[in-house]
Amino acid sequence: MGSQDVHSKRQHHIDMVKGDVAPTVLTPGDPGRVEVFVSLMDDAKKVAEKREYITYTGTKDGVPVSCTSTGLGTPPTAIGVEELIRIGAKNIIRIGTCGAIQDFLKPGHMIIATGAVRGEHTSEEFISMEYPAVADYRVVRALVDACEKLGLPYHLGIIRTHDAFYLESPWALGDFRIRLKPWVDMGVLALENESSTLFTLCSMQGIRAGTILASGYSILEEHDEKIHHEENIRKMVTAGIEAAKLLHERGLA
Amino acid sequence: MKKQHHIDLAPGDVGETVFIPGDVHRAKFIADHFDDAEFVAHKRQYVTYTGTYKGVRMSVTSTGIGCPALAIAVEELINVGAKNFIRIGTCGALQKYVKLGDIIIATAGVRGDGTSREYFPLEYPAVADFHLLEALVQAAGERNVKPHVGIVRGHDAFYTESILANGDYLARDKEWIESNVLSVENETPTLFTLTTVRKCRGGTILTPVGHHLFPDEMISEEAMKKAIALETMIALDAAVILDSIGNK
Repeated sequence: MGSQDVHSKRQHHIDMVKGDVAPTVLTPGDPGRVEVFVSLMDDAKKVAEKREYITYTGTKDGVPVSCTSTGLGTPPTAIGVEELIRIGAKNIIRIGTCGAIQDFLKPGHMIIATGAVRGEHTSEEFISMEYPAVADYRVVRALVDACEKLGLPYHLGIIRTHDAFYLESPWALGDFRIRLKPWVDMGVLALENESSTLFTLCSMQGIRAGTILASGYSILEEHDEKIHHEENIRKMVTAGIEAAKLLHERGLA
Repeated sequence: MKKQHHIDLAPGDVGETVFIPGDVHRAKFIADHFDDAEFVAHKRQYVTYTGTYKGVRMSVTSTGIGCPALAIAVEELINVGAKNFIRIGTCGALQKYVKLGDIIIATAGVRGDGTSREYFPLEYPAVADFHLLEALVQAAGERNVKPHVGIVRGHDAFYTESILANGDYLARDKEWIESNVLSVENETPTLFTLTTVRKCRGGTILTPVGHHLFPDEMISEEAMKKAIALETMIALDAAVILDSIGNK
């Protein structure tokens, strides 16, 4: 019984073995975003596709980088992250979208998370809520340097991860502003559905994690604009790939 | 503005960077490492000196033990103009590879304390300020010190989780040891959450003076003094680095 030798097995959900991914793996929630990654790489091969987990591994300027989608929410993210760690991932960087909640945030801005509010339950099954969902500072530095290099405006700060999208979004039932007020007042930058589980699990296992998000206008404001511009998502993924290169140059991948 | 009620300081009394040791007597020890320092105030356990180091004005205010006392000091120091807070402290080590007298720089804190819960929901993370963290790591590197950089646990009940504790403290420690927590102390989670929300900077540098896995090992008085002096110098250098990057 039990999990002897879990690391040598083909992982049950992501369907990969050691050697299938580069040391740095970018993890969007949306499987559809993997093709943005592919279009930005010098070369990329499809490695696996099972359920919401699509993986490509390729190179950019000679540096190996992988991309594995995690699906939406913390439960599939926890599975994807755990299995990626078992097959050798050392840096896991979420490349995502979010609901901005501060009025100084605009489309085209990037949000680099230093930590995340654990407003979700999955990480709590792993460890008590006291444990911090903190991004690895070397991944944060790589993301900052990537944005500086690419000339992308960015904001460093705390984001909020939670489970119930339809309670905290522009399409929420009831008055979502009341629910959001404490977080807005605390300076939390944006809402999303995956990072705090990623950060918690990686910290517990000594793996480096970070998150970069493409911002839009604050969801507390009224705008006619489309929710997320494809061009801004592209810039965000470009920054993720650049950060992966920097981690490699710094001997961390 | 009148003097702050507990720390007895007014605007202008402190530099933008304030070191905040727990131990009342460590305030003077730290001030003695400045290039010059003057005594400013002493009320309850809050002892303050202000001076300069490498041309940068800075202060030290002892907080006493625990998050309640630290929260008061930080709130009142912010009221009189402090922006950057560096805790210089001691702790109990949790990992085999951490030795007594080593240097630990905290990236984040396990919120085992009560004060931060009165302030903020438990889900909110206790995270060190990114630029202050980098400054501490850089300052350590420049002194050829290889610090342990990671998560520390802050909590309230010393006698439940220390080598002097009643009962089986290792049973309580187990989940923290198994999740890469470096050490245990009594102040950091409130420091980190409060400074983050108040848009100030918080950082913590520690040296272990006891080890939860090796409770019979005692750090000598001399080794402890040396380690505290080293973490003090690293903190002073970090303050200078921080001063050079301004309001990033």
